[in-house]
Amino acid sequence: MSIFTNKSEKLFIFFFFAIGLVIPLFLADNVFYINKISSMIIIAIFVMSLDYLVGRSGLITLGHAMFYGIGGYIFTIIAPEYETVNFWIYTFYVMSISAFVALIVGFIVLRTSGIYMIMITLALSQMCFYYFADSVDYGGFDGLFIYIKPETSIFGFNFLDLNNESHFYYLCLLSLFNCFVFFKVLMKSSFGRVIDALKENPERATALGYNIFHFRLIAYVIASSLAAYAGYLFALQYGFVNPSMMSWEVSATALVMALLGGLGSIYGAILGAFAYEGLHYVLEHVTQYWMFFMGCLIILMVLTLKNGLSGLLSNLVGDKENE
Amino acid sequence: MDTYFFLVQLLNGVQYGLLLFLIASGLTLIFGVMGILNLAHGSMYMIGAYLAYYFTALTDSFAIAVIISSLIALVIGLLIERFLISHLYKRDHLDQVLLTVGLIFIFNAVQSFVWGNDPLGVEVPSALSGSIQLTELLEYSDYRLFISLICICVAVAMYYIINRTKLGMLIRAGESDRAMVENLGVDISKLFTIVFAIGVVLAALAGIISAPIVSLVPGMGEHVLISCFVVVVIGGLGSIKGAFVAALLVGIVDTFASVLIPEISSMSIYLLMSLILLIKPQGLFKS
Repeated sequence: MSIFTNKSEKLFIFFFFAIGLVIPLFLADNVFYINKISSMIIIAIFVMSLDYLVGRSGLITLGHAMFYGIGGYIFTIIAPEYETVNFWIYTFYVMSISAFVALIVGFIVLRTSGIYMIMITLALSQMCFYYFADSVDYGGFDGLFIYIKPETSIFGFNFLDLNNESHFYYLCLLSLFNCFVFFKVLMKSSFGRVIDALKENPERATALGYNIFHFRLIAYVIASSLAAYAGYLFALQYGFVNPSMMSWEVSATALVMALLGGLGSIYGAILGAFAYEGLHYVLEHVTQYWMFFMGCLIILMVLTLKNGLSGLLSNLVGDKENE
Repeated sequence: MDTYFFLVQLLNGVQYGLLLFLIASGLTLIFGVMGILNLAHGSMYMIGAYLAYYFTALTDSFAIAVIISSLIALVIGLLIERFLISHLYKRDHLDQVLLTVGLIFIFNAVQSFVWGNDPLGVEVPSALSGSIQLTELLEYSDYRLFISLICICVAVAMYYIINRTKLGMLIRAGESDRAMVENLGVDISKLFTIVFAIGVVLAALAGIISAPIVSLVPGMGEHVLISCFVVVVIGGLGSIKGAFVAALLVGIVDTFASVLIPEISSMSIYLLMSLILLIKPQGLFKS
């Protein structure tokens, strides 16, 4: 059983990761671009988790950045300040603590649905934003700094040095790949089928005996802890965390990227994140008023592209079965 | 806290609440009738404030600026509905949200292109620049009272239009059953255009009249938008009565929280909203 849904997806994933693997070799002396691409990959992971939540589970949230920020903050708060810690162990800590937070938050927000859920997720993430922005212990608006990056040894074997930009880049690329495979496998599993059914027709799924709330809660926890993982990577890359990571603009932009890529297609999240960030980078260098052109492009895209960039790609390749 | 101090804070809270109502009522009206969540609503507030600044400087009269700016906002509202939103009625909610996000980008860019990023201010019109003496030390500005008065007038006018006129009848009908209204031969697209334009003008008007008491900065629209979301959710989406009650509640809670418990003041309205949603997931007045 292939994990790919259609030909365009297969082609895109193959080319993306093939190019991704070799590109540092060409950019060896240009640390700026390696960092830029790493940050785009981190955003792609974040957008992918949102894409699963919105596109697959039908749970629309405008507060996903809350977990992105929480992931970064958890690491910065629990890791000892002047001691080297293990990356993998702290990945486990960060993801399990944020999963626990997501369980509680999910318990509240999943009581609502639709537009109400959009707004309550927004409000909770704003609450979290102000909590960190106002707190003296966590550095207020300036946030916190990470002085020492973790090491990545497994059983004493150390193959990645996070202070090296290329090594960090490969860690991000690997994470994105794992994330993609994880979501595709999840979609093919019986759990993923139930989630799809819930989105299509919640009443019928209930009639078949599935507890909607439990399934949605699990999907919410999974997506949120992956968003936290992306935030953790962000914190490690830049060496700091601050409340702006969880501002509502971050959530809204991620939603734009997910829609741009084509909702629910998972690989579209990579397309969307790279297209948006790439365009942002180019426009920003051309004009100070890049937002104007970005806005026009978003509107044009909404009016003309129905399934986002992945839909466009699918048409170009000529997929027969288009989910 | 003595009585007068309490009174001034209460007045501030009510005034802020009424202003919030002016903005939130437009948002909730558009959502209630058209089913569209207009994220660019806050941007219209911002554009209103900046237009007021521009025309006050140009004509030297705040009153003329209010009229011209409102008319411009009306035209903007009509254009947006006709050329953009009207294409998306049959599409997913998310597409509409995305479109309005695009509009936010455009309005922000226009604002920073035309007026720059430095904070600007509008002078309080001279006729209203005085204040009412409450005690020897406390006074309350005439202009704030004027704002409250305008907001109350708008609220009364809206109540009258919605409950007593033919347009209001159509709006109420559109809220409860859109398909039926269409089947009865009402030109729904015209109704949508009118409602959207009214909503936009309400947001812009709030920006225009609050221009003299706030500083005009980029991003002022987004901040207001989030507060409006809180109001609309507490009140119940689509309910104008709910928006009124919730706006006053939010205004008062926000004002008193910043005086009494400054540590959590910026979180207070979100806490209030979470509490209310836990008890009533559909808001206070379900429409």
